[in-house]
Amino acid sequence: MSNWQAWAALAVFAAVYVLIVTEWVHRVAAALGGAALMLAIGATDDEAAFFSTDTGIDWNVVFLLLGMMMIVGVLRRTGVFEYLAIWSVKRARAKPFRVMAMLVVITAVASALLDNVTTVLLVAPVTLLVCDRLALKAAPFLIAEVFASNIGGTATLVGDPPNIIIASRAGLTFNDFLVHLAPLAALLTVVLLAMCRFLFRDAFRYDEDRAAEVMALDEREAIRDPRLLAQGLAVLALVVAGFVLHPVVHYAPSVVALLGAGLLVAVSKVEAKDALADVEWPTLAFFAGLFVMVGALIETGVIETVSQALADATGGNPLAATMTMLGASTVLSAIVDNIPYVATMAPITADLVHTVGEPHGQVLWWALALGADLGGNATAIGASANVVVLGIAERNRQPISFWTFTRYGIPVTAVTIAISALYLWIRYFALA
Amino acid sequence: MRARDLAEPYPTIALDDQALDAARLLAERRLPGVLVVDGDGLPKAVLPASQLVRLLVPGYVLEDPSLAAVIDEAHADRMCAALEGLRVRECLPKDVPLPVLADADDTTVEVAALMASSRTPLVAVLERPRDRRTAGTPRLLGAITAANLLQHLLEAAR
Repeated sequence: MSNWQAWAALAVFAAVYVLIVTEWVHRVAAALGGAALMLAIGATDDEAAFFSTDTGIDWNVVFLLLGMMMIVGVLRRTGVFEYLAIWSVKRARAKPFRVMAMLVVITAVASALLDNVTTVLLVAPVTLLVCDRLALKAAPFLIAEVFASNIGGTATLVGDPPNIIIASRAGLTFNDFLVHLAPLAALLTVVLLAMCRFLFRDAFRYDEDRAAEVMALDEREAIRDPRLLAQGLAVLALVVAGFVLHPVVHYAPSVVALLGAGLLVAVSKVEAKDALADVEWPTLAFFAGLFVMVGALIETGVIETVSQALADATGGNPLAATMTMLGASTVLSAIVDNIPYVATMAPITADLVHTVGEPHGQVLWWALALGADLGGNATAIGASANVVVLGIAERNRQPISFWTFTRYGIPVTAVTIAISALYLWIRYFALA
Repeated sequence: MRARDLAEPYPTIALDDQALDAARLLAERRLPGVLVVDGDGLPKAVLPASQLVRLLVPGYVLEDPSLAAVIDEAHADRMCAALEGLRVRECLPKDVPLPVLADADDTTVEVAALMASSRTPLVAVLERPRDRRTAGTPRLLGAITAANLLQHLLEAAR
């Protein structure tokens, strides 16, 4: 690979990043256009792009996303999430802070199993309904749910797309995420609730008459198809079991998700074309484009050069490398989409893990995941879920400005990242 | 027959009128929509009754239609409160199309073609100044509905 190709690949990559960040062109067009240019200049080729496990499209990631999108697409038709949200609000006796706590916990748990955008799309309308009934401003509740979604998504392999990329590139299993990140995500959810009590202290005005209106909601009416609900939950349970039992059954997460999606379509009355209609094809194409572009950077030696520079900068010190990874990932994910960020950083992290070596190698992956997932909470554009909720709030005449969100996002991110740094240090260095 | 002969008086409402008045007008006259006029009395838009109904439905139900089922009937009795304080201009969708306009001199076929190509059941008829170079604003004569046009065409066919 010649030197000019490395520079050309870097220039294409930088230009595409600018286009993605500025949204001058649609991100899918930018990623696919960039991939096409990488192929055109010879920075990568068809063999590498389509068939290489190291420098090509990561089909495990693409098909895991595809399978989960199909399963979630069927599940959301059942109304189970609306049922759960309203049921929990009624259990909270419609007392505002308890309502927020219930919705935050439901969002965090759901985000661990579903993608964050789907979760907030399901929870936000229920939140608006409840706040309308309670005559409360919905913004604090919606913002808290976004934070919970990004924190909950950190907990599992399937919770957030960056985790899927990290798992595939690092060879980490569903159980690895459960053991290493889920306890921290649970702790951060509790911390988030404590912060919400303080940050939104003016939002919890209780009115008994208004509360009675919430108690009058009939959550059972939300269930549209009980049979489909039973089938969907059974398949979801099987899929989670498939993820957890990986050491026994040895199915890759992508295979488990695809088998689950296929089983759900086979046993339910949902047509295959309807299940496939819920798949976000543009997102999958975006991933494919990114993988080809990052693969070109690997093929041309750019990634190796960057990795070496980072290794030199941290002096091979595992703790310095971990904290640098956590901090840099947090800041960058607050500004740019964390999916392209992690797609780019994954091969660099793999090199750094190799340089640092055992027993501290794996902690770099956790630092990358935590920084990328939690950093998304810092600003209104830090994660897709943030943008989606702000759009819903705007359409419902409860606008949340960029700065309103960010005013709460920065302290929440600072505290959650500080706790994460402490967690990484204690668990992987002090007690190692 | 020309458009001026087919045109019938049609209820109008001003951009700054109350949305609740528009709703009452639509309900009392059983109209599918009302012509919205500007300060000069010229048509600016058609406000369909369905748009007002859409405004009555809470935004969260539009986001997630399954929530409609969980809301009790008592809430339905208060749905019209959503229109309180709203002006007609605030009820028009952002991408509201301009009303379809026919000249007073247009023939029946021209009006039918206009209605067909724009897929609208309502065409406003304007009397424009004879000499377009001279000053003077057009005048709204009324409107032709698809039902009126069909009635006229059926009578002519007998």
